[in-house]
Amino acid sequence: MGINPIEYRAWKGVRSAQKSRLYVIAKSVFRHKIRSFGVIALLALGFLLVHAFQIIFSVIAPHESLDAQTMYDYMGSGGTFAIFAILLGAVVTSDLISDDVANRSFVLYFSRAIKVRDYLAGKSSAALLIMSLLCAIPPVMVAIASMATQTGDDYSGSAGVLGRTAVAGAIATIFFVPYGLMMSSLTKRKSYAAVGTFMSFFVMIIVAELFAEFDPAWRIISPADSLAYSFSWIFGLEMPSYVDGWALAGFMTAFIAIPAAVVYLRVKRQVVG
Amino acid sequence: MQGAVENPDQVIPKDDHILLTARDVTVRFGSVIALNGFTVDIPRGVIGLLGPNGAGKSTFIKASLGLIPRNGGTISVGGLDPQTQSLRIRDDIGYMPEHDCLIPNVSAVELVSYLGQISGMGPRDAMQRSHEVLDFVGIGEERYRLVKSYSTGMKQKVKIAQAIVHDPSLLFLDEPTSGMDPNGREEMLDLVRRIGATGKTVIVSSHILQEVERVCEHAIIISDGRLVRDGKMGVLMAGEEGLFNITIRGVPKALEGFVRALGGVCDIVEKTDEGTNQVALSARGCGDGRRVFALSKEHGVQVRGYVPDKMSLEDVFLQAFQGGGSRGY
Repeated sequence: MGINPIEYRAWKGVRSAQKSRLYVIAKSVFRHKIRSFGVIALLALGFLLVHAFQIIFSVIAPHESLDAQTMYDYMGSGGTFAIFAILLGAVVTSDLISDDVANRSFVLYFSRAIKVRDYLAGKSSAALLIMSLLCAIPPVMVAIASMATQTGDDYSGSAGVLGRTAVAGAIATIFFVPYGLMMSSLTKRKSYAAVGTFMSFFVMIIVAELFAEFDPAWRIISPADSLAYSFSWIFGLEMPSYVDGWALAGFMTAFIAIPAAVVYLRVKRQVVG
Repeated sequence: MQGAVENPDQVIPKDDHILLTARDVTVRFGSVIALNGFTVDIPRGVIGLLGPNGAGKSTFIKASLGLIPRNGGTISVGGLDPQTQSLRIRDDIGYMPEHDCLIPNVSAVELVSYLGQISGMGPRDAMQRSHEVLDFVGIGEERYRLVKSYSTGMKQKVKIAQAIVHDPSLLFLDEPTSGMDPNGREEMLDLVRRIGATGKTVIVSSHILQEVERVCEHAIIISDGRLVRDGKMGVLMAGEEGLFNITIRGVPKALEGFVRALGGVCDIVEKTDEGTNQVALSARGCGDGRRVFALSKEHGVQVRGYVPDKMSLEDVFLQAFQGGGSRGY
């Protein structure tokens, strides 16, 4: 301390941004993520391998209208889209909670006027925004490019497919985030969380393949397949006969809701200490 | 109960004498009882929350912030219940945790500003204020370095800066000098004293008694989740009523005569020879001391000290644990 220490001064301002706390957390996470090499690399690679070719194809290939089957083939079949979504989900969510577990920094948030659900909403909305850069925005761009270059007049039909594309993109954006957050809340190391998320999806895909030998309905426990089936339902296409719509809806709901509940309880427990 | 609130952000009223009350508070973690019928009234000022490790100090702080649920009893912070109005309370509270909790990969100024924004400050205000509080705690140009490169002392200062960035009315400091060297401890205690001097209520949880003795006006001693003793430092540290410590200097023969004569006037409890020319006495029943001074004049000795008996906080602490019981010796 110097000879004339700086005295404590009361703050005369007014806290005007109480309602922006979520936005503050989301903005901070987004800024951090968008500078991360892993995220940039995955976004660039995913855009090149999944979307770029489709945009070029949509522009140069003559087509009468935006076709649901074409969009499904691009988003749902083949699995490249899902694989990149899984990879990005694992990388984006890996450190969101695990870093706070490792640093024990939850208390910095929760000693302030913020609830667990607000904290989680702030973190996940940033993750969702990043995910949408690969899963929602490019497919919508592809659909718009395809609509803009269509030769036919059925713009209302194309607009319908565009809307379905946006819904499919939103589901792909949301689908992997709660699971990734759950894995992130279970460990202090982001590498464990990222590898754990990817490997558990991989294991689910393998298990689904194994059981599908006996009954193809087991394919719904593969996140990539269940996402593809949900796309075929969204695009109004026929789902394979072995897929039960309710079972698929149940699996997808559980795949989102159970991890979300687990991560909520884990963070709540961390707060208590 | 609630007084006028000047600042719209300030939810804890300024004019109540008692800021925080707890009545029969019980907090359990499974089979472990962290707080066991804890009852206390905490006034404004710089307050020491004392107790051995595991006594329930941090649990009480967390229960007051509404971070952990109570199993029984009531807590009121400025008239608000942490269980149901925790967000309003936390808006006007600053908390410096004991453990390392800082985000390592950001600079101090970014971190403090970020936490200011989470407290509801606008980005510009938060940045300006974070520079102010970092100046106050003594973090200079290092504020632009990543927190992970900081020493323990600097991290403690950043922790206190994040706790005061939103200018709260009530501040909880959990072991603020933990892991600091003697110079750092001095600086931290000085910061606590200076924050307290602005009229804020600062609750300092510590098991280092000398520190609490130096900065606090009021102390609360807690053990096994129960209140052991509490009161103003002056009252707690006051010794036995009517007992005085007297220091006398003179030639040995005169000293001997004085002590003998004093024995006829007062009840000498203890006598210690401090070299050949000085004697220290503890005596009770000497009244206002006029007779002591008259006797000293008679025997030609000097009264070098005549002070009421006073204990150190360590004595109070030990006595409280040995004697046991609330407010009991």
